Amino acid sequence: MMSTVTAATAPVLPAWVAMILLLPRNVAIVLLRGYRAVISPLYGDVCRYYPSCSSYTLQAIQQRGLVVGSGLGIYRIVRCHPWAKGGVDDVPAVRRQKYRLTPFGFVVPASSHGKG
Amino acid sequence: MEIPFIDTILWPIKWVVELILVAWHWLFTAIGLDPAAGLTWVLSIVGLVIVVRAALIPIFVRQIKSQRKMLEVAPQLKKIQDKYKGKKDQFSREAMSRETMELYRKTGTNPLASCLPLLLQMPIFFSLFSVLNNAQRGLAGVGPLDATLGKQFGDATLFGVAPLHDTFIGAWNAGGPWQVMLIAGLMVVLMTASQFYTQLQIMSKNQSPEAKESPMYKQQRILLYLLPLVFVFSGVAFPLGVMFYWLTSNFWTMGQQFIVIRNMPTPGSEAAKAREARLAKKGKLEPKKGAPAIEEIPEPPKPTQRQQPVNKNRAKKQGGKK
Repeated sequence: MMSTVTAATAPVLPAWVAMILLLPRNVAIVLLRGYRAVISPLYGDVCRYYPSCSSYTLQAIQQRGLVVGSGLGIYRIVRCHPWAKGGVDDVPAVRRQKYRLTPFGFVVPASSHGKG
Repeated sequence: MEIPFIDTILWPIKWVVELILVAWHWLFTAIGLDPAAGLTWVLSIVGLVIVVRAALIPIFVRQIKSQRKMLEVAPQLKKIQDKYKGKKDQFSREAMSRETMELYRKTGTNPLASCLPLLLQMPIFFSLFSVLNNAQRGLAGVGPLDATLGKQFGDATLFGVAPLHDTFIGAWNAGGPWQVMLIAGLMVVLMTASQFYTQLQIMSKNQSPEAKESPMYKQQRILLYLLPLVFVFSGVAFPLGVMFYWLTSNFWTMGQQFIVIRNMPTPGSEAAKAREARLAKKGKLEPKKGAPAIEEIPEPPKPTQRQQPVNKNRAKKQGGKK
């Protein structure tokens, strides 16, 4: 009952439009997951921060999209040098999260429940 | 390899890679090696690895120094490990990582090398890849490696039959030479063995028992056995020259890691106990001052309040909690 009301009033994008908008970041997420599964383990833990640079970039792209997320990721990698103090360094929080994550880490519209 | 953006970024690195290669090649030629021989160029690649890894030694020394300082924070580290002892869920592990990292930051004892050494080496790897790729087509490099040298490099053959620019898959499709496939296969085996040994050393000897219980550790162990697949894939697709760079670099890492684990082990790990035993045998183990060994940390004082006697059933229920 509730859902029909909100769908009619709130300016929710059609699922397919949202999917296309989210496509760039989801492609990047596949690449990053691949890197983290295959290349990362070759070197073991090296990052002086928590979360690690690749995990940080993954989260940043999930929350902020490909362009801003990559920018944040590059800025973090630049900061990760032997003279850095390291420590906990999370992705700056977003005010409002419009999307949700699948267990794999894909970003999907918050309104769709597994369909699409 | 035709991405302009990447090429622009890599240009200076390519230039330096070529300069080092050509310099080594010049040196080996000067001492009487055949300039067009595969061996001369392979030795030049080994020289490139030595220069690159030697340049990274200061970073490595810094890492060792902070690992020494780790001994001072060992009690605090132990406290964190105790706090999360037996908690294997994801959230506890994450909270533990956060607290550990925060401790490193506060005390300035971060033992991790940072992402910079990796970041420096990847472009070198890609540059070498593209230098060899261009050389294969008889193209000049971006700087010191002119067209003549480039062609010589690409065409240089090992044992007179296996060109350095050739790949396993290339040789397979062309129906030979089989020597290329043999050398590539052999390098895959050596690479897997050295990487496997390095990782196993770190994982089985240089980690505290607490770290060994984490799910991360188990995940790493599974990945350790998947590594050969990665090497088989790259061994099939990469030119022999690139493989030589990677293999030599792997050997360097193996040696470096061996020295570190032997002389500066992680406190509380198997390697640390082995080192103490070695030192004790030689009678060199000085009693620790200031930094108490992990085993010597006093137990937290027992609560002074008297424990109320409890009913058997209740005791059973409370047993689960701490």
